[in-house]
Amino acid sequence: MTGYLVVSALLIAIGATGVMIRRNFMIVLMSLEIMINGAGLFLIAMSYYLGNVSGQVMFIFIAAVAASETAVGLAIAVMMYKRKKSIDINDFSILKK
Amino acid sequence: MEGIMFYIISAITVGGALGVLLSKNPYRAAMWMIFSFFGIAGLFVMLHAQFNAMLQIIVYAGAIAVMIVLVMMIMDRRTLESLERFNPQAFWPALIGLALLADLSFLAYEFKIDVSNAGKNLAINGSNTQMIGEVLFKHYLLPFEVTAIILLVALIGAVVLTKKDIG
Repeated sequence: MTGYLVVSALLIAIGATGVMIRRNFMIVLMSLEIMINGAGLFLIAMSYYLGNVSGQVMFIFIAAVAASETAVGLAIAVMMYKRKKSIDINDFSILKK
Repeated sequence: MEGIMFYIISAITVGGALGVLLSKNPYRAAMWMIFSFFGIAGLFVMLHAQFNAMLQIIVYAGAIAVMIVLVMMIMDRRTLESLERFNPQAFWPALIGLALLADLSFLAYEFKIDVSNAGKNLAINGSNTQMIGEVLFKHYLLPFEVTAIILLVALIGAVVLTKKDIG
């Protein structure tokens, strides 16, 4: 059981690090997907070890929310690309004075 | 045998995630991401979650990866590839990520649950899909409907955000 939890922890940590240190907005979105998958792996592992299928049902909801989040994130990426002609997150500071 | 398979598949998964984190070219990062998603689908099969393994391949490795690559396709290739890899202030966030990894791994080693039911109650008549359908439509019907509303809102939000006169 510890193996699955460690893989899930690795995925979440790698995804969080990617969100924090990468400059390319598309790769930030990919790192978010990796983080969500880490959480999903934790749910499925717990569903197996507790003998309860509810975790697998939760994963379906997580997949739906991840798809919506990616759609909105990509829409923001396209909008910012149209405005700034750049995909660098350091240029995405339109609310800064 | 199962232990060796677990190590191979988790090496694929974590290696793909590290590829996303470290590769400079975003197209290669997308390919590494798909690699990692297939590894996670393999882990799901090992955890007797066959339906979710197929869902993982269709939704993540299919739909989401294609969506990301499609958006990268309409952007200028030079803009995408000429970016620096990391932020200039990347050192402390990387340290925070390492601390998060240490914390979560510590929790994973300290985590104790009753595993006497491990691997049971996951299928009716040998079918994992049927069990998920029973639980989803008997106990989680309202969250299921809310999920439909979330998808609709995301669809409308994406259309409104990319409209011409707003951007």
